[in-house]
Amino acid sequence: MKQTPEYDKIQENMRKGVITLDGFLGDDTRKLVDIIAEDTFAIHTHHTTKEAIASRMEYFRKEGELGLGEPITVDGKFEVRVDSVRGLLPSPFGGPGMYAKVNTSVLNKTSGKSIVYTDLHIHFIKDHGFFEGKGSPFRLEPKDLIEILEVPRTEEE
Amino acid sequence: MVTTLLISIGIISLISVFLALLMVIADATIGNYGTVKISINDGTKELEVRGGQPLLKALNQEGVFIPSACGGRGSCGMCKVRVVQGGGEYLPTELPWINEEEKKNQVRLSCQFKVKTDVAIVIPEELFSVREYTTVVEKIRDLTHDIKEVTLLLKDPAKISPKAGQYVQFMVPEYELTDESVYRAYSIASPPGDSSRVELEIRLVPNGICTTYVHKHLKEGDTVTINGPYGDFYLRDTDRNIIFIAGGSGMAPIKSMLLDMEKQGNTRKAAYFFGARSKRDLFLLDEMRELEKKMPNFTFIPALSEPQPEDNWDGEVGLITDVVRRMTKDGSNSEAYLCGSPGMINACITVLNELGVLPENIFYDKFS
Repeated sequence: MKQTPEYDKIQENMRKGVITLDGFLGDDTRKLVDIIAEDTFAIHTHHTTKEAIASRMEYFRKEGELGLGEPITVDGKFEVRVDSVRGLLPSPFGGPGMYAKVNTSVLNKTSGKSIVYTDLHIHFIKDHGFFEGKGSPFRLEPKDLIEILEVPRTEEE
Repeated sequence: MVTTLLISIGIISLISVFLALLMVIADATIGNYGTVKISINDGTKELEVRGGQPLLKALNQEGVFIPSACGGRGSCGMCKVRVVQGGGEYLPTELPWINEEEKKNQVRLSCQFKVKTDVAIVIPEELFSVREYTTVVEKIRDLTHDIKEVTLLLKDPAKISPKAGQYVQFMVPEYELTDESVYRAYSIASPPGDSSRVELEIRLVPNGICTTYVHKHLKEGDTVTINGPYGDFYLRDTDRNIIFIAGGSGMAPIKSMLLDMEKQGNTRKAAYFFGARSKRDLFLLDEMRELEKKMPNFTFIPALSEPQPEDNWDGEVGLITDVVRRMTKDGSNSEAYLCGSPGMINACITVLNELGVLPENIFYDKFS
């Protein structure tokens, strides 16, 4: 897929050491638009949308915050902790927002599987459909998010 | 044919060598800014440094430490200083961190701004007392399943003079999660009176570069570099009652303040609300009960938000904000000290305001 110069610039910002030490692409050599397109396709195979995933992530972030830094049980089956470390991150996509390093950890007690994401991840997915490149230490697999957070289906089969 | 090929390869090689030499010469001449001067706080301190290097690095080399959580990679936005002369244009790598108000005040990101001419800068006076320390890990102990207490014995310099509540930066060396050294900030848990040691409480953060290093790799006897002390989170000298609120590793600066109060014979009325989920998340209960005995006006109130049946807990139950609301009658003559995540701090501020604590009497160390 053809990539615009704007996305070339964004992809440059995502390289190691530009905004964060590890960058956001890992060892993924694909164009940013292709990374996003393939993950979008993966989401659709699970009959949901990036908006639905982000909405679920925001839900756990909001509910987990009520634990004031300690783990809290949400809906009887999720153990959620929202805590922070010092520092802020700007988005490589630009814009005015700075994102606090807030980690949301969600354990699905039924499956025993857990996932950790940040406020920057929520922005990536909600606004850009970006889950980070393959090999990035902080990449989120759409399939894992959908399963662990029990993201509802939004599309007809 | 072969001769032509060899001549071509030879010419290309010569051109490559010439270009490489040109780059070396350019680096040594065009990129050489010579010695430049940094004037700090209207000439309070004058430095002569090698030009062309980032301001943060130049200052560090001269023993002036600016807080930075990312080690100068432009990813934390902490190392801001005012460059009031010789600043020039902003770099694209600075702009995400600088708002319009800061632009008006000539605030720059010191890890990105390079000193190419003489400059005048303004920094907080307290940064002059910040030093880098070589330490040795004297002791590591588990406080909970995910919090470790690390005691560092200072070697060079051998003494530090923090205020209770301040923090230091811990240098993580290169290891499997990072290609180069990085710094992370942690509050000092030990009292200022023990100037030869620094005690830290470090909770494991999933995938966290420093916390993973401390929890999985750091051993007693290892050498650790820290710098500090930093921060304006310290006990104010008033007669007001004190409300401390913190959970988890947020206990560190509160513990330091309490130990200092005990040592100083401070008799102010104080209550420490310590929130945790279940009994396995509580720690240092014996130490806190011991402090209660030594300080008649101090009350320690641990509270569990989700006590487990096996905990047999007969103490306070609920979110720490609910417990504070329940147990505080009138906050108008109180000041509050909070340490934790922004969400926790914001929730506590709302409750404290409801209880009558004036906004100017609420002090916090927000992890942001």
